[in-house]
Amino acid sequence: MNFSVLQLNKGVLLVNANRSRLLTQVSLFVLGVLAVAPVVRAQHPGEAPVSDKETMQLLLKRISLLESQVKKVDQLEARVRELEAAKSHIAPAEITAVPAQPSVASETESESAGERTMSERMDVSKTLLRIRGFGDTTLHGDTQKGDNTAFTLGQLDLFVTSDISEKFKFLSEIVFEGGPDNIYGITRGTNNAFGVDVERFLVQYSYNDYLNVEAGRWHTAIGYYNTAFHHSTWFQTTTDRPFLFDFEDRGGILPVHTVGVSASGLIPSGRLGLHYVAEVGNGRASRSPITQEPVQNVVDDQAHKAFNLAIFARPDAIRGLQVGFSAYRDLLVPANSPKIGETILAAHAVFVRPQFEWLNEALVVRHSVFGTSQVFNTPGFYTQISKQFRSYRPYFRYQYVNSSDKEPVFPDVRLRQGPSVGLRYDASESVALKLQYDYTVLRGQPAINALALQVGFTF
Amino acid sequence: MPRWVGLLFILISAGFLAGAFSFAADLTPGVPPEPPTASEQTLAIVVNLSNPTENLSMAELHKIFLGERSHWPNGRRITLVMMAPGQPERLAILSLIYRMNENDFNNHFLRGLFTGEVFVSPKTLATPVGVRKFIFNVPGAIGYLRSSDVDSSVKIVRIDERSPYEKAYPLHVPPPSAK
Repeated sequence: MNFSVLQLNKGVLLVNANRSRLLTQVSLFVLGVLAVAPVVRAQHPGEAPVSDKETMQLLLKRISLLESQVKKVDQLEARVRELEAAKSHIAPAEITAVPAQPSVASETESESAGERTMSERMDVSKTLLRIRGFGDTTLHGDTQKGDNTAFTLGQLDLFVTSDISEKFKFLSEIVFEGGPDNIYGITRGTNNAFGVDVERFLVQYSYNDYLNVEAGRWHTAIGYYNTAFHHSTWFQTTTDRPFLFDFEDRGGILPVHTVGVSASGLIPSGRLGLHYVAEVGNGRASRSPITQEPVQNVVDDQAHKAFNLAIFARPDAIRGLQVGFSAYRDLLVPANSPKIGETILAAHAVFVRPQFEWLNEALVVRHSVFGTSQVFNTPGFYTQISKQFRSYRPYFRYQYVNSSDKEPVFPDVRLRQGPSVGLRYDASESVALKLQYDYTVLRGQPAINALALQVGFTF
Repeated sequence: MPRWVGLLFILISAGFLAGAFSFAADLTPGVPPEPPTASEQTLAIVVNLSNPTENLSMAELHKIFLGERSHWPNGRRITLVMMAPGQPERLAILSLIYRMNENDFNNHFLRGLFTGEVFVSPKTLATPVGVRKFIFNVPGAIGYLRSSDVDSSVKIVRIDERSPYEKAYPLHVPPPSAK
């Protein structure tokens, strides 16, 4: 329907004005007639003169004319009501499409632009796709034998969202990164060659605050870091992720990505602010050694599914505090080896405000080999603290992970622990410069001193 | 070449880059909330006329404005309306509700969208008329206006059981003449 709201409003005003003018005229005329009639009767109690009869007929004609005009006004009013009713039926469609502005923190528009946005969103052929980018470049050097100081292009992360409807939303992270990959100590791919990974790829359905459902590929809700920083180094304070939460293709020990279905939301708990996340998915690939994609995007190497349940609290009383735990369970079936039961228990307590950050996480990865009494527990933790002073944010992190030399899934990890200190400088709202020193103690090997200078940005 | 040469190179590069960026403008620190003065106006929290919500606590308002609540009790999705950066009303909201500066505010919503915790970022409009029109048209919308800018097209929500016309109402904004 092409009838615009503006036209409708003008029509209503015009009709109302005409109608009130006509009614005023009619009212004045009738009052005049009533006022004059008794006088006429008093002066001429008998038969009225011919001239008066003509006057009366003339007046009656005018009354009938005015009545017909009033009838037309009534018809117009009825038509306006019809159009208003039609407009109210259109409104929900407009409203459904209006609120989405996802890819930027906020969007400024003039009022006319806002109206244009509404009409654009009526057009279902438009995708409403929004893209935000993140990237980084690092100069890195260390004392490990065989390593050279080098400039390194980090991940180029395209964060793509689309508001499908009021309840549905699409979200993805498309990452371009250089090789080679490092999967449990085994390199894969070509040096310096860029590849593309779809790191997140999911459709979200938001029923209410208590139930949100996602399907696709996401970051597993193990602990805090994995779902807080994703693939953007610009968001994180440090130049790199804690070793515990490294990505699968960077030597990480956790199933950081999952393909499947997830439900999350609030738990009615008043000021305690409890939340839940329940996930079921393919889990990680369990062939050993893994020479292909460690995330089972398309096929699962066994029928068993991985489950993860996370509960965390954000109490109203202490803004910025989040405390929670998660339990992950999967079954790995390495080729030519017994099955391995995998349980990952994680707990975290973080306190994050714009000017202050204190992250604490601990977890244990438990691998039990079927048919034997062998159980391998790999504990790990990290603590990270930072404080912003204007544009500068000094930080400190200590991390630890200790796995058995005979660990069946990631035998290369062993013991790694040590501190990191650094300084982040926000050169602008979108560019951060970071300098970080790491000292890492390894079991049976010399400790590593490393220095990294990184420029992280969003665009 | 000794390894320390590489480390020294990184340190020198860091110093050079820090110097190059030193001319960049510093980020504005957060604005601390100040007590209202006699000349200040109240800032009304307004919603669509069809919204059944009559009252919100400051804690609820905080969660709604942070994007931590995405739905009204009637199931309608919440759409937050902010006025354009620099407007006194927006500065008041940033100070009184968010306790953030512009940069922190932008980062908060960008991070929320990135993590998926915030379903929709705020809608920003330039004028009180624009805010009124938007809220009038969008059933789930919530925004703020000076009390003098409120008309019958939107509905005022009480905050902690107080209307903007009562004493001890918590949200205030400097008068327009102070722009």
